[in-house]
Amino acid sequence: MHDISYYDLRQVTGASTHIDIDNGVVESAGTSFFNKAVLRVLVKSGWGVLQIDNYTPCTGTKFDELLQQAARLANITDEPVRLGDVLHGILPVPPVKEDPRDVDIEEKSRLLAEIEAGVVREGIVNRRANYVERDERVRFLDSSGNEYEYRMGRSGFNVLAVASRNGNVQMGYEREHSIHGFNLRHQQEVGRKAAETAVSLLDAVLPKGGKMHAILDPELAGVFAHEAVGHASEGDLIHEGNSVLKGRTGERIGNENLTIVDDPTLPEFGFDPVDAEGVSVKRTEIIRKGVINAFLHNRESLASVGNGCAGHARAMPGEPPLVRMSNTFIQEGDATNEEIFSECKNGIYLVGSRGGQVDPGRGVFQFNAEYGYLVENGECTTMVRDVSLSGDILSTLHGITLCGNERKMSPGYCGKGGQSVPVSDGAPYILLCDAVVGGSGVD
Amino acid sequence: MRWWVAVAWIDDLIREAEKSVDEVEVFSVEGESVSAELKTTKVSLATTSRDCGLGIRTIHKGRIGSSSTNNKEEWRECLKAAIASGKLATPQEWGGLPGPSDLPMTPLAFDPDLTVEPATARELLETMLSGAQEHDAEVTAGSAGLSTTRVLLANSHGVRYSDEHTGVSVSLEAIHGQSTGYEFDSSWALDRIDPAHVGERAGFFASESAKGTDIPSGSYDLLLSPLAWAELLGNVFVPALNGRSVHAGRSKFAGMLGQPVASEGLSLYDDPHLPGAGGSTRWDAEGTPTRRIDFIEKGILRAFAYDLKTAYRYGRESTGSASRGGYGGLPGIGHHNLVVDGERGTLDDERVLSIHNLIGAHTANPLSGEFSVELSNAFFMEGGEYQEPVRSAMLSGNVFDLHHTIAGLGNDTRNLGSMILPSVRIHNQRIIGK
Repeated sequence: MHDISYYDLRQVTGASTHIDIDNGVVESAGTSFFNKAVLRVLVKSGWGVLQIDNYTPCTGTKFDELLQQAARLANITDEPVRLGDVLHGILPVPPVKEDPRDVDIEEKSRLLAEIEAGVVREGIVNRRANYVERDERVRFLDSSGNEYEYRMGRSGFNVLAVASRNGNVQMGYEREHSIHGFNLRHQQEVGRKAAETAVSLLDAVLPKGGKMHAILDPELAGVFAHEAVGHASEGDLIHEGNSVLKGRTGERIGNENLTIVDDPTLPEFGFDPVDAEGVSVKRTEIIRKGVINAFLHNRESLASVGNGCAGHARAMPGEPPLVRMSNTFIQEGDATNEEIFSECKNGIYLVGSRGGQVDPGRGVFQFNAEYGYLVENGECTTMVRDVSLSGDILSTLHGITLCGNERKMSPGYCGKGGQSVPVSDGAPYILLCDAVVGGSGVD
Repeated sequence: MRWWVAVAWIDDLIREAEKSVDEVEVFSVEGESVSAELKTTKVSLATTSRDCGLGIRTIHKGRIGSSSTNNKEEWRECLKAAIASGKLATPQEWGGLPGPSDLPMTPLAFDPDLTVEPATARELLETMLSGAQEHDAEVTAGSAGLSTTRVLLANSHGVRYSDEHTGVSVSLEAIHGQSTGYEFDSSWALDRIDPAHVGERAGFFASESAKGTDIPSGSYDLLLSPLAWAELLGNVFVPALNGRSVHAGRSKFAGMLGQPVASEGLSLYDDPHLPGAGGSTRWDAEGTPTRRIDFIEKGILRAFAYDLKTAYRYGRESTGSASRGGYGGLPGIGHHNLVVDGERGTLDDERVLSIHNLIGAHTANPLSGEFSVELSNAFFMEGGEYQEPVRSAMLSGNVFDLHHTIAGLGNDTRNLGSMILPSVRIHNQRIIGK
């Protein structure tokens, strides 16, 4: 018999529904079902983990056999693990206005088709819309007697417009995802917006890359916070020595006006009522007034690294939990948009996000805007496309000199270790001085 | 085959489905895997997983329905959901699922010596660690995994295909100061990966890149490693060969058959029967027998990829390109072993900026091909030797344009899983320095 010091079991069962409409044709629509569990067992030498598809809850000798099976696996491990002391507890899941499960799929399909039809206009050669809905029932228990159960749904849609003229092909993309219930009603405007972006981009120019002042809209500034700061503050990376923020708690990394937070308690797309290790969730100020303040942790990284809060363990159904972000944002400041544009004077204004990536050990990040405008004398002028930003974590944040007074969050998904989890990112408008802008335009 | 005895329920499912729909297809997966993970140089976690899943597709009067579950005992509910899903779909031109072909059922990517054992995973980690010791760098993380999967495809026209494949993968991350190195390898056969080399390369890139300096913005000749090139191909170029994107107006290659889309020396094809390659299979995810597809011959665009649905809709033939990400969802258009080839030569005699990897290639514009990415482990090379490393720089350009400025393909060949390709030298690309 192995000496088991801790175990936990997390089972997620549920259904996912999707509808895919392409140029007016319902390509596919329907519902699929899943049942996935992960059992983690801690012995002296490390973790043994069983991932079980189609798990049937069991007790007694049958469950003991699973525990022993996981414990035997840990024979090959050799890193003793300590778990940090944490608070347990669960928040109520925010109520939904209209439960998507109460709307029949024919109606969902009709509403999505209306949004997709909103894309139709001159210059648009292809349109596509898809709806996704996931309903998850999560059961958690651990060897300390903690037990939680909750049900949570997420649903939303994406709409894509493709415009083409003389071999120039451009796209407009909009997405709306929510934990607050069914969101397909009265959204035709979203399809029209995607179409307008795609058509406008046909006349946009490629900017010439280089160093310049950049104004980031709330969505892109949120991705900036996520890529440039969020990942590098994840406790598992700090523990491995794979983050430039390691050992820098208390160091100044930005101006007084910069505070960056991860908060799983916010009722946004990255909300978790309790984390994937049964730990109660908590707001964590990663950067407070420009100074590195706290890291994001699970129980293991809290014990080995310290300086931060547990409650940031998250997992896809059936996968072992990892330290992850939830709702990550730059705290609003007091600048008005007029002040931001006038302070920027000449530079570039960047809107929306096509995603990003970071190498946290090297401290280098890259992310891409959907489109933007040149800023000349404090005014937006020429529209630009295919523009990205890159930078060094340790030096770039000093360039944030102004933060706007209104924050907005945007939903998305974040990948790490082969797992994708729902998150939201947000910020106010920010001014980033001396940004390194990538674009393939030439003089 | 023995396994068929255990899945007699599939025949029950097909009989049940035929009462309500014209055709039905069943895709079933079962697998075991084991993986072990390093945190720094210690094995901290061992995982095994047992996966099972069932995907059902029904076709009735041109309406395609689908559902999936990982509880096979509940196939009746899953079938009901698939039939209900079909009622929502817009009907389309449909010429039927394929019937059975006389295909050999011996697996093409199966290693009988590969056992899914934790001890083997640990040995792989240890071999990587010993490789990494050759350089002055610290290991931050690593993983090794082994898997075996049994796949079964059946349909109401009598197709009963089964396949078994194995997989092994390793990866290692290392750091020196603020310089990181990452390398990986994967194959279907245990003796086709080189964990010591993976460790050595991760350590090499971390330690060598540490001496990097900044370079001025300007135009440079580039040497993209197979990995860096595959990032650009995979995110932009390959999706443009998808027949569905082509007909929907979402591909730059629409209307360009017979025209040059790359430099003259470049050919690109899918060879599903390539010996020793990981994506090899005799039938695709819909049961269509696979065959070689020559997409680009000496720079000229010759073909697009089709599955049954797209082929029937646009009056073409399936190219046997259907693939599935797993048991869930519908099959889509993919590829099996995508090979890039052409005349080879030495590329690093004259000074060139060599790029091992890219950060952010997935943010490229898949339609227009514009991209702007950060470099990882870039070096100047000359006379075949690594010289000054570059600390940090961006590369901006257009993936489609870039393929018209190819100066040559290297003598090396790397198998990256579903893509097999050499390194490539490209003229005059825009680098934004710091």
